[in-house]
Amino acid sequence: MNNRLFCCRALPLLPIRRGALTLALLVVCLSSAAWAGGDAPGWMHALVSVPLPEHDEKTNAVLLFSDTTVVVVSADKVKTHVREAYKILRPGGRDFGVVKVPFDSQQKVTGMRGWCIPAQGKDFEVKDKEAAEVSLPGAELVNDVKAKLLQIPAAEPGNIVGYEYEVEERPLALQDVWNFQELSPAKEKHYSVQLPPGWEYKATFLNYPEVKATGGGGQWQWVVNDVPGIRKEADMPPLSGVAGQMIISFLPPGGRSVSSFASWPEMGEWYKSLTNGRRDASPEIKQKVAALTSSKTTTLAKMKALAAFVQNDVRYVAIELGIGGWQPHPAADIFVHRYGDCKDKATLMGSMLHEIGVESFYVVINAERGSVTDATTAHMGAFDHVVLAIKLPDDVQSPDLLATMNHPKLGRLLFFDPTSELTPLGRTGGYLQANWGLLVSPNGGELVQLPKLAGESNSIERTGQFVLDANGNLLGDIREVRVGDRANSQRAAMRAVRDSKERIKPIESMLAGSISLFRITKATLVNLPDNDQPFEYRYSFEAANYAKSAGGLLMLRLRAVGSKSSSLLETKEARKFAVEFDGPAKDTDVFEFTIPAGYEVEDLPPAVDADFSFASYHSKSTVQGKVIRYTRTFEVKELSVPASRAAELKKFYRMIAGDERNTAVLRMAVKQTSAQ
Amino acid sequence: MVRLRSWSWSAVATWMAMAVAVLSPTAAHAGFGFQPPSAEELAMKAEPKAPGAPAIILYRQVDRDDNGSTSHEDDYIRIKILTEEGRKYADIEIPFVKESGNISRIKARTIRPDGTIANYEGKVFDKTIVKAKGVKYLAKTLTLPDVQVGSVIEYFYTTDLSEDWIFDSHWILSQELFTKKAKFSLKPYHNDYSNMSVRWSWQGVDNPPKQDPDKVVRMEANDVKAFLAEDYMPPENELKSRVDFTYSSGILEKDQDKFWKQAGKKFYSGMDDFTNKRKAMEQAVAQIVSPGDTPEVKARKIYARVQQLRNVSFGVERTEQEKKRDKEKPQNNVEDVWKAGWGNGYGLTWLYLGLVKAAGLEAYGARISNRSEYFFNPNKLEDRKLDTNAVVVRLNGKEVYCDPGAAFTAFGELPWGETNVKGIRLDKDGGQWIMTPMTTSADARTERKAELKLDEESGSLEGKLVVTYTGLQAYELRDQERNQDEVSKKKYLENEIRESVPVTIEVELVNKPEWKDTSVPLVAEFTLRVPGWAMSAGKRALLATGLFSAAEKHVFDHAARTYPIYYEYPTLKVDDVTIELPAGWKVSSVPEALDRDLKAVAFSSKVESVKGKLHLTRSLRTDAMLLDTKYYSTVQSFYRMVRTTDEQQIVLLPGTSTASN
Repeated sequence: MNNRLFCCRALPLLPIRRGALTLALLVVCLSSAAWAGGDAPGWMHALVSVPLPEHDEKTNAVLLFSDTTVVVVSADKVKTHVREAYKILRPGGRDFGVVKVPFDSQQKVTGMRGWCIPAQGKDFEVKDKEAAEVSLPGAELVNDVKAKLLQIPAAEPGNIVGYEYEVEERPLALQDVWNFQELSPAKEKHYSVQLPPGWEYKATFLNYPEVKATGGGGQWQWVVNDVPGIRKEADMPPLSGVAGQMIISFLPPGGRSVSSFASWPEMGEWYKSLTNGRRDASPEIKQKVAALTSSKTTTLAKMKALAAFVQNDVRYVAIELGIGGWQPHPAADIFVHRYGDCKDKATLMGSMLHEIGVESFYVVINAERGSVTDATTAHMGAFDHVVLAIKLPDDVQSPDLLATMNHPKLGRLLFFDPTSELTPLGRTGGYLQANWGLLVSPNGGELVQLPKLAGESNSIERTGQFVLDANGNLLGDIREVRVGDRANSQRAAMRAVRDSKERIKPIESMLAGSISLFRITKATLVNLPDNDQPFEYRYSFEAANYAKSAGGLLMLRLRAVGSKSSSLLETKEARKFAVEFDGPAKDTDVFEFTIPAGYEVEDLPPAVDADFSFASYHSKSTVQGKVIRYTRTFEVKELSVPASRAAELKKFYRMIAGDERNTAVLRMAVKQTSAQ
Repeated sequence: MVRLRSWSWSAVATWMAMAVAVLSPTAAHAGFGFQPPSAEELAMKAEPKAPGAPAIILYRQVDRDDNGSTSHEDDYIRIKILTEEGRKYADIEIPFVKESGNISRIKARTIRPDGTIANYEGKVFDKTIVKAKGVKYLAKTLTLPDVQVGSVIEYFYTTDLSEDWIFDSHWILSQELFTKKAKFSLKPYHNDYSNMSVRWSWQGVDNPPKQDPDKVVRMEANDVKAFLAEDYMPPENELKSRVDFTYSSGILEKDQDKFWKQAGKKFYSGMDDFTNKRKAMEQAVAQIVSPGDTPEVKARKIYARVQQLRNVSFGVERTEQEKKRDKEKPQNNVEDVWKAGWGNGYGLTWLYLGLVKAAGLEAYGARISNRSEYFFNPNKLEDRKLDTNAVVVRLNGKEVYCDPGAAFTAFGELPWGETNVKGIRLDKDGGQWIMTPMTTSADARTERKAELKLDEESGSLEGKLVVTYTGLQAYELRDQERNQDEVSKKKYLENEIRESVPVTIEVELVNKPEWKDTSVPLVAEFTLRVPGWAMSAGKRALLATGLFSAAEKHVFDHAARTYPIYYEYPTLKVDDVTIELPAGWKVSSVPEALDRDLKAVAFSSKVESVKGKLHLTRSLRTDAMLLDTKYYSTVQSFYRMVRTTDEQQIVLLPGTSTASN
């Protein structure tokens, strides 16, 4: 119940870094804690001889037993008692000896105790008074989320560590999520709920077959056994999108509470009530809107002016205390302070749009696509971000407005993320595309899928003119036009430089990925501050010994710059989860090489045509006179490739890798002798 | 930090770390108010001396008053925001340790580009970073309103230091941002009835601090560059402009020779107290060596025995409860260490000294510095920077440096941080300055020997690889994986190979390397498959020569360089690769051999074709530690040459092809 809408898109960097010191302090504090004696409880000793759940040699620890008992005392008071025990199998499992219980200002952690049953020797025990409190690192400048930490002694391979604690809270939502599938395999997990008379519950399982509850009379229990652990894979869907969970809503008698979130509409109602009045414009906001839009003649121009203001003039700063993790600050405050988090920025943007007669709606969403799908049950923990759906007036028509959908009741909606300072109005970043969010409209709440844009909306168009000499040296002029996230990444890199001489480094790094020996002779950036225009690099370079001389031949690699291949799937283990792409993309390279006088082309690499439903790659090379022309296109068409098709994706990447390494062979032209 | 009335070393050690961390980032004086913005500051668009900077510090002031009862430090900072990125400096977090002081009188404001002012009237949040028994590490947090590009933000606060304690302090001039102007002052603690003294040292400052007649130490600095990290640079502490103030009990000795004699005597006394257990050591050494052993054999046997003892400095951190359960008591001397069968690194090294002396060998204890964090400079009179110990054994007329407490160093070898550093060889008269030996590339070798076959169909290489890590290279691996299991160690070694080959490979460790015995190299045997290493080029196949070349691919990519190049220690990589060609394949051409020796760095590469096999040898040596920035282009060119050579192609003619050139 600790999720918050803090947004993880734009992480503010604090001027003073404290991570390392915090860790060092923790080691000092926890390892020097006073000690107490005592045997582990019976429930832990009962686990000593239980068979371990299925696991492999890389498993750090297995969960032997977990019991979570939730007692709903009233709508304002819920108590949760937890006990868990792990067997540590490998040195990496030592981390399980540190118990971490997050809590906020609405929660109180009590009765925290931990034990270790060593493979040999007497048990260890640690108690609540030896725990430390830490703030949790996150994107927020200020929040009230902390964690209680307790270090259990002798958390070594072969030993069993266990703990229990109780959390008493005043819940924001009458709902809980039982995350019963985690990284470690689990032998047995219990979840019990005790409800006051007349209360009911609604339980839904995600990513796991439904488990029937046992019990009755206000007390129910669920048990799962031998739950496999999740081994993380690169570019896999978010954990919450694949791990087994149970979402349980507690339903008070006499009508449902909107904070039970028994459905998406109910959750939408809750958020609507939470944000009610927050977008009311102050006189200062009205004045600013007038100042920003008075010279604009069209509604779209006015919208763009307001978007630019909220994106650029309102700093991303998250201050989230209590309900502030979900509820935005009033627009008037955000405007005065000129800072806020994602929901604040959406609030101010909505307020300003309203002043020009344009309505908009909150869209509560997860910044990681795949956390929520159309099969997901409504729950508070699903989301961590807020964007806007802008109801486009009829007079706003523009081909630049790509991120739109036609809603059967609300009409044309344009999705916009004011937290992303670099994505212009009309587009959305890859993380939002085809993602599912809760649209909070006057009608309530509704889960909608945001539009997926065409690959061309996120592209690199690279054209290069190269001149090769007989020694293999290359002179190159490259123009690289980037749009979408491909542009944003470079703009962000350029923004982050702290010294103008560092501006060349992104280009140097890019070239260094493809060419060993180079010297950039000229470089310019085009449209760096104009986010609604394509971003361009134009640079010239010299690359000594680019073409390799061997046996009187020159070997010329035609893929001069850039790489599309990936070693993602070159692993021993078979892929278990889908591969997620950042977003759709379409990149093209057109390179023309003028070969040295006296040389001719003996061989060209074969064309490559790899066309799968999820992505395609085409390359070919041709010769015209003294010029070799190499072209290739790379397109991501689907955003997710299921594990069952991992072999195809692996093949796809291997084909690209082969093409990227292929060379043309040049040889000295045979001189024609003419009869005198 | 020193407590004026009483103090303990453990408290000092803990609090010192915190005090340094908390007090060093910024420091100021609340006695003054905000300064009015100048027209020039408001109009500023960029700072020519910091081109491209997101923000600059216009002015910074640190005033410290160590009066002992109401000691405090006032910090004032004024920042000009130059880009959107620079606005992040409006988020302010001032960390502090509750037990050592408190932050008070925070004032902040934003000066908009038009000169109007927005005072900070919001809440200053108290953030708990860590709260545990006896420790509260907190932060005052705020963010300034209405901060735009062109704004000036400024804030000041006072750190009220705990009564009865005196803390060392540090003026770190080099900050994340360029500093246009800064003023510092420190009024040192003085009490006619106390023998507390302070000394200070500095580096990288144009106008060193001076003590005025009013006893206050003052300094001004202008145009201090922002600190930007680079690869292969010396420790940050050596590069930043800074002034360090150190308090100590006792009379301040300003004469350098006398200071170090005193320090040497103090070190010797401590060492002697710990090691002077002759009888116990003689009994112990009798169990280790034989009377007929040569001195060197004795020295080596004792070394091996000491390294067999449990070294808690390199073990997993244990809780107090575990220590108590195991009856781990503080060790006061080498006899305690020997009897317990365990010790920390420091104690084990002194145990070695006690044992070799008891064995009748000529040996000395030494206090030396470790250059991993800073470079020791005797002129600064900082005796605590001689922070580690070693033993010098005289064998066959030669001095052999040993540090068995470093856990994974072989006999006669020091960890790299202890090589080529100054120290004091201890004796009762105060000792003598020594310089520990610098290793050579031969002392840290990685030898890769591969026997591979080229697959006709796929162009893949497949076969066996044996890698031998010697000296410091073995030390690094053993140290890194010391608390891991076989699965983790296997993965670690396999990843080492993956990272050394520039394409994706399949590799599997097939033997059980020796992870403990430091007297032998660490030898790892693998099966290796390099898919598609041979490329098709029409009728030919091409084979790049640099199979183990990935580590050099991106060394010194960037044209600009600010700081000297710093190699932690010299290294040598030697590759010997044999590739068996498919039947009927012929070698059309091989690249010319290359041998380039620039003394500090050297590289050679050679390809030979012998009876259907290719034999590739490659050697890359660095025999330098610190190279001035002026050599950057030379070194960069050297690595470019290495990369070019590694990319040279061997041209092969598959069996069915005929050559046409």
